[in-house]
Amino acid sequence: MQTSSSSESGWRGLLRRHETVLFALVVVEVITFSCLGRRFTTADNLANIVRHSVEIGLLALIMTPIILTAGIDLSVGSTLGLCAVLFGKMWRDAGLPIWAAAGGTLILGALCGGFNALLITRLRLPPLIVTLGTYSLFRGLAEAITRGTDAFTAFPESFLAIGGGQLAGLPTQAWILLAGAVVVGVLVQRTSFGRAWRAIGFSPTGARYAGLPVERSLALAYVLAGTVAAIASLTYTARLGTAKADAGVGYELAAIAAVVLGGSSIFGGVGSVPGTLLGVTAIAVLGNGLSRIPATMSNAAELTGTLTGGLLVLSLAGRALAGRGKRRIASGFQGGGTE
Amino acid sequence: MTVPLLQLTAVAKSFGAVRALKGVSFDLRAGEVHALLGENGAGKSTLIKVITGAHSPDAGTLELAGQRVVQLSPARAHRLGIACIYQQPALFPDLTVAENIALRLEPVTPLRRVAWPARRRQAGELLHRLGATISPETEVRSLSMPEQQLVEIACALGAGARIVIMDEPTASLTQQEVARLFGIVRALRQDGVGIIYISHRLEEIFALADRVTVLRDGESVGTRCVRRENAAGPKRDVAQSTEAMADAPLLTEAQLIQLMVGREVSTLAPPVERELGDVVLALERVGCAASGVQAVTLAVRAGEIVGLAGLIGAGRTELARILFGLTPADSGQIVLQGQRVTLASPQAAVARGIAYVPEDRRRHGLILEMPIAQNIALASHRWLFPGTWLRFGAERTLALNFMRDLGVKAAGPEALGSSLSGGNQQKVALARWLATRPKLLILDEPTQGVDVGAKGELHRIIRRLAQEGMAVLLISSDLPEILSLSHRLAVMRGGTITALLPNGCQASEVMAAALGQTGERATE
Ligand SMILES: Nc1ncnc2c1ncn2[C@@H]1O[C@H](COP(=O)(O)OP(=O)(O)OP(=O)(O)O)[C@@H](O)[C@H]1O
Ligand SMILES: [Mg+2]
Repeated sequence: MQTSSSSESGWRGLLRRHETVLFALVVVEVITFSCLGRRFTTADNLANIVRHSVEIGLLALIMTPIILTAGIDLSVGSTLGLCAVLFGKMWRDAGLPIWAAAGGTLILGALCGGFNALLITRLRLPPLIVTLGTYSLFRGLAEAITRGTDAFTAFPESFLAIGGGQLAGLPTQAWILLAGAVVVGVLVQRTSFGRAWRAIGFSPTGARYAGLPVERSLALAYVLAGTVAAIASLTYTARLGTAKADAGVGYELAAIAAVVLGGSSIFGGVGSVPGTLLGVTAIAVLGNGLSRIPATMSNAAELTGTLTGGLLVLSLAGRALAGRGKRRIASGFQGGGTE
Repeated sequence: MTVPLLQLTAVAKSFGAVRALKGVSFDLRAGEVHALLGENGAGKSTLIKVITGAHSPDAGTLELAGQRVVQLSPARAHRLGIACIYQQPALFPDLTVAENIALRLEPVTPLRRVAWPARRRQAGELLHRLGATISPETEVRSLSMPEQQLVEIACALGAGARIVIMDEPTASLTQQEVARLFGIVRALRQDGVGIIYISHRLEEIFALADRVTVLRDGESVGTRCVRRENAAGPKRDVAQSTEAMADAPLLTEAQLIQLMVGREVSTLAPPVERELGDVVLALERVGCAASGVQAVTLAVRAGEIVGLAGLIGAGRTELARILFGLTPADSGQIVLQGQRVTLASPQAAVARGIAYVPEDRRRHGLILEMPIAQNIALASHRWLFPGTWLRFGAERTLALNFMRDLGVKAAGPEALGSSLSGGNQQKVALARWLATRPKLLILDEPTQGVDVGAKGELHRIIRRLAQEGMAVLLISSDLPEILSLSHRLAVMRGGTITALLPNGCQASEVMAAALGQTGERATE
């Protein structure tokens, strides 16, 4: 896998430093939990961590380019829920073969993303507002379709294997996550799309004056987000064996937290895929580890939330102190006369 | 001998490995205009920022009226009577003109209220003195580059400072505004204010300055007198020193350039007559209600440089924005290489071979947070990165070539746009569009803030590109530049073209047409 530092060289130092810090954090977590936790470092548990972090991992990966453009997508969790329900509907009620239903789900996910993209690029509405709307809309649709109670179960074994099976000695999800990371990583670091996303994040006006396809680049990011949310709905359904309207509630915030912890700036332009992966890992290991320590076992979920929040604040504060708002000053008031 | 208003001794300042100032000494007396000259990246703006407290020097001392000052901050400098017009307008884009001026004059403290009606009136008066027709209620965001510059100047004038610093105040102003500014500067000098004046336009230095200090590569290469008749200044020592100099020959322009660049700079020869190619761009009564452009009819041929002259607000930039698809035309027709086109977006314009180097390099011309190489490649993704795959080697080579050709002074192609001096940013903005090899090149103030040596080089490049068959539309407030480069001149006024002048016309004719006068002379 390529590293961010080999390409976007202007931020080389900064990225490298941030990723190093994160990596050290993951190492510290692993050491702590192997000492304190019960059966933390078993192959089973490691596979477990991967299985449980794949959905948020995928969403965080595809959230990275969106945050690079200084945008945000709050609707990915709801898209996941809607896609899970529609997938069940297509398979059980419409009688489609399971893989055809899966293919259809990806298309529907892309359409959800396309709807966001349309509102953002055509009507020029802020992504925060648009996706806050579709966050409610998609979840509402999922609940309406199932009337809040219907759940889809009894999926065929071949499909459930995505959730519980192994491929070449690793959980299937590990391969899916890896593939996602490579695709998004290459898009962000190695193609002109990634360059355009970054440019838009730094300065939308500047990108427009450079003749970049601003609208098309933005649309691509949101359509991809919808598609990846659909993929996540499939792994989610396969992992739990049921598809319900509440699938993926709150995942959008977990994904955003991982991206920001991974070094992306919410103001756009700054961020990397390896950083995001490390962010996801740090949070996943934390959650799993806490549930393996006797003292914290009972309220691991709450503790994870609190500690993740603490980490986020620390990391943001650290970055702010290190850069002293370098970026904002560079783009705004370099003269210094107004400060 | 009286104490100078301001005395800098052996000031040094580095940014990482870049040594921007290497021990510069400088003094400013009351009632003089002291010009600061030097190539792009010589350290002028850095020196200014040391004086205004925006940068703290690594070494050296600063004395104000004989008093040593340490730990200068912008707020403290303001209280000590130092006002500055920065090279890059540093206004708050979301606030109105009046609010910006008020903030600058009297930084808001938590518990003090600002008397807005009075402030608004004052802002209006300041702008009026400058002859600017900008409403104090306008949001700065919607102002053009020269308008922002006028607001900056108003801020500095309103402060009633003892030291006024002007870092390229006229870079995008036309002769009218420049003449008015000069009047104000002379009045300030009469009142005993010390003025530091930076400009790459040498004729301004000779028109205005009493003394000039030349910086080269972060070092002062000398201070010279440029005028004798400044004995009118209120301080005796100024008069004395000029008397002492009275018999010495005053500095000539050529000597000044020699001092700045350390070598001879050849000046531009008049344009050569040559066969022009086919019409590349033909405009037929093109208009756009939103931007106030109406019924523009103009043709530009391959190999031709057509100059667009006019005052600020005449609609030159607005016309360029139409051609680049930023504010699409809503009437008339645009014919590009024989084909009628609608230019609905910059993308469409770029795809048809149109390039536009905008006048506001910081907001539009560059992405400051990106490295030079990425900035230069940004409009060339199509040909540079076939199949969308980034080719870092090719990008770097492209950047290095342009940095060499245009003489960009920077740590390397990885240096961020924000770390460049003003003139070097301008060169990078230009390089980005030259790299697209366009059929029609629209240049909006392409040499603003660029030093004399580089300017000559840019002029040669523009002319060479035209000779190779590019059609060039040149917007410039620099009359000598536009007169010597253009094959034809179109003068705009009130959003339309009011006169077409041939090659070899006089500056006075251009000014008269720009002002809408006929026959009457209109020079400063
Ligand atoms: N914030 C910064 N970070 C890094 N380098 C800087 C920074 N500011 C200035 N420099 C460097 O310091 C040198 C002097 O810059 P300065 O802006 O003072 O030049 P200048 O004389 O004003 O040039 P110009 O005529 O182009 O405005 C340049 O090499 C520039 O790249
Ligand atoms: Mg400068």
